[in-house]
Amino acid sequence: MTNHSNERELLPLDPKTRKPREQMEQPGYYPGYKTLGQKKFWDATTRAVVEERVGNIPPIRFFSAEELPVISAVCDRIVPQHDRLPQFRIPVLNWIDERLAKNEISGYRFEDMPDHRDAYRLGIQAIDATARIKYGKSFPELRPLEQDTILKSIHDGEKWAAHEIWERMSIDRFWHLLVQDCVAAYYAHPWAWDEIGYGGPAYPRAYTRLEGGLPEPWEVDEKRYEWDGPESSLSDAYEESGATSNTPAHGQGGTH
Amino acid sequence: MKSPIWGEFKQARDDVHNLGPLQRIGKETKRYRDDEEVDYCIVGLGSAGGVLLQRLAKAGFQVLGLEAGPFWDTERDWVSDEKGSHKLYWNDLRITGGTDPLALGENNSGKGVGGGSVHWAAFTPRFHPSDFRVYTQDGVGADWPISYDELKPYYELLEREIPVAGPAYFPWGDPHGYPYGPHPLGGVGDVLVKGCTKLGIRVCAGGPVAILSGSHGDRPHCIYRGFCIQGCKVGAKASTLITHIPEAIRYGAEVRALSMASRISMRNREQANGVFYFDREGREHFQRAKAVIVSGYAIETPRLLLNSACQGHENGLANSSGTLGRYLMAQAGNVVLGRFPGLIRMYKTPPAHALTEEFYETDPKRDFARGFAIQTVAPLPVAFAKQMMVAKGAWGWGMRRVMMDYNHWATLGVLGEILPWPDNRVELAEERDGFGLRVAKVTFNLHDNDKKLIEFGKNKVMQVMHAAGAEEVVQEARYAHLVGACRMGADQGTSVVDKFGRTHDVSNLFVCDGSVLPTQGSANPGLTIQCLAARTADYLIAQGTRIFTSEIRDMGTPPVRRELAVKDSFTKGVPRLR
Repeated sequence: MTNHSNERELLPLDPKTRKPREQMEQPGYYPGYKTLGQKKFWDATTRAVVEERVGNIPPIRFFSAEELPVISAVCDRIVPQHDRLPQFRIPVLNWIDERLAKNEISGYRFEDMPDHRDAYRLGIQAIDATARIKYGKSFPELRPLEQDTILKSIHDGEKWAAHEIWERMSIDRFWHLLVQDCVAAYYAHPWAWDEIGYGGPAYPRAYTRLEGGLPEPWEVDEKRYEWDGPESSLSDAYEESGATSNTPAHGQGGTH
Repeated sequence: MKSPIWGEFKQARDDVHNLGPLQRIGKETKRYRDDEEVDYCIVGLGSAGGVLLQRLAKAGFQVLGLEAGPFWDTERDWVSDEKGSHKLYWNDLRITGGTDPLALGENNSGKGVGGGSVHWAAFTPRFHPSDFRVYTQDGVGADWPISYDELKPYYELLEREIPVAGPAYFPWGDPHGYPYGPHPLGGVGDVLVKGCTKLGIRVCAGGPVAILSGSHGDRPHCIYRGFCIQGCKVGAKASTLITHIPEAIRYGAEVRALSMASRISMRNREQANGVFYFDREGREHFQRAKAVIVSGYAIETPRLLLNSACQGHENGLANSSGTLGRYLMAQAGNVVLGRFPGLIRMYKTPPAHALTEEFYETDPKRDFARGFAIQTVAPLPVAFAKQMMVAKGAWGWGMRRVMMDYNHWATLGVLGEILPWPDNRVELAEERDGFGLRVAKVTFNLHDNDKKLIEFGKNKVMQVMHAAGAEEVVQEARYAHLVGACRMGADQGTSVVDKFGRTHDVSNLFVCDGSVLPTQGSANPGLTIQCLAARTADYLIAQGTRIFTSEIRDMGTPPVRRELAVKDSFTKGVPRLR
């Protein structure tokens, strides 16, 4: 996707040897664990919905030919997947596009935000404008580290360019909209469930080992390995995003 | 095990309407003609509307429920999947603002028969006696026009009806026990119990939750699959969809789904005569009714009343006090996330299964009024990733890394009392929905007492998390539940409805849902809303046809009609001896 980078600089590193780790079918600490291997034990409706998600990737309908390279490069940095073999990457962008094409919202719009479709269009413009001001190139043409530098400025709530856009739209809320949509697409996919060792659907069968983090007979135990984020990235560190008291970052999902 | 012994699980029968794996009703149900005048038209079939529909039908009234969303078939429509459950929520546009804007939709609003009770986590603590006299006791908020004692018989009744699993002795508020035994703990409950025990905080394990720990009638017990807030396909978690709606239909009530109420129609200045609504094709209809009950919850109820402004009620129906839409409340719902060296696997067991109310009451040693509860929560991967986006500022490789540790994290929630303030409110925005109706604009601002309470509560939960052995503790600010905005009160000048839910301004128009709550305590509101609905139903039944014709308001307490409880309330399930 990215023009000036070779794949190796995009790979996570072995912390001891500082060498890139090989790409895998299934990263994470649960090797061999497959939620889809249990699908005969799921109810028919759930099985159909999850199989459809894996097997039927929606085509791009919302983003324009100009927007597509930018948002595609952005998604590749917000949920980087270069540790996955190419055929086992999760199509995050297509699911964001699908939501926008269908105009599916989650029940509200912040009063200081435009409509979510406009928010994406404006945000893509702002990201590309920031890339051009900072590096004199469009966002997809930047090196991965430069792309992360641009995205980190938005994460931090710093407005390096496109001030007229950030006047119409809260930079912090745009960041949260973007990251939320990316992670909602990625972690809805059964391959991501395998990666994190999540048990997935369990009706009608049930979970039976509830305490102590014990695996069900069909789950597997954790086998950890150490890894560092690629040197071409800025995202393998945790810093609070730039939300201020005027735009408090707070949870969107229902938990209680 | 490669496959279930009889092969993969097949799709459920489609010639019946499935309400859980065992409970079925016929597909054909009663349908009133538009020009038939029903006794009661209930707008919204959620926690309150479901109970009202069942009670009024069982007592012999002609009753019809309008519901904006679908009439779910739980086997065919619901899934064990976060993304696939998005349709359970009220996803239509609302505008949210103020200094501390609330997330809506999946956070707190349901759509479809059963309403929010379909996706509640089903914690069912009672309110404490002190919740009913907050103003008298603490000089803040408001008093209720009823006391705890007036609601207590309904708590006892509904805890059997839906029914509630929990400890034999629950020590806080008015101490009591539960009809079904407590649930086994999962990893998160262990964390709460361990942390609290270490700090000398009393804690309650295994409930109270409206989730079956043993089978009950045609409802199986919990299988601990963790998808409570995605809709319980198992039928173990109570929702009015499976507890009250089936019996309502059996007694002749009509459930009219995919029908979006647009305004309440007035016969004259004093009396309503029906409800205008849009059907699924967007055609407008008028349903005649002798009385109307609005049960649309804390946003849609005031929105409908505001959208029903008419001659003589220019500021919205039932709004002579100017308080319609005001005193909206959400509870502080900060989530505290702790990473443990060992595995937790918090996706197993219901998210709701242990709590403490040790900090519920006002403590003069603290610098704020009222208090909070600490409860287990357990986000599934998508919700957890969103929490990590906020709590750790995670994205990119950092997001991938923390998510690979999903099974090491446990989450606890603050459930804190935010006081009723007039500037927290529901109004009409200029934007319109697909039917051309003005959408709600919700404004929410934290005040000084609220901020101090949240700070204290959050820090206390972080302490508990550390005490349980977490090596890293982070938190995310958020809010849970929505109540208020049509509050009940004795004074017509400062409230919208009286203590039975009758609007002060229109004698045959009632509001019955979370919006009538004057204050909210630190208890999840679902059970209290169902209790208020059963009590309003008893009042309407006791008053009989006088409701439809007379302006006179009898404020006497009606008898508790235990015989109207749903079947199996007293005869099925796990016996608990007194």
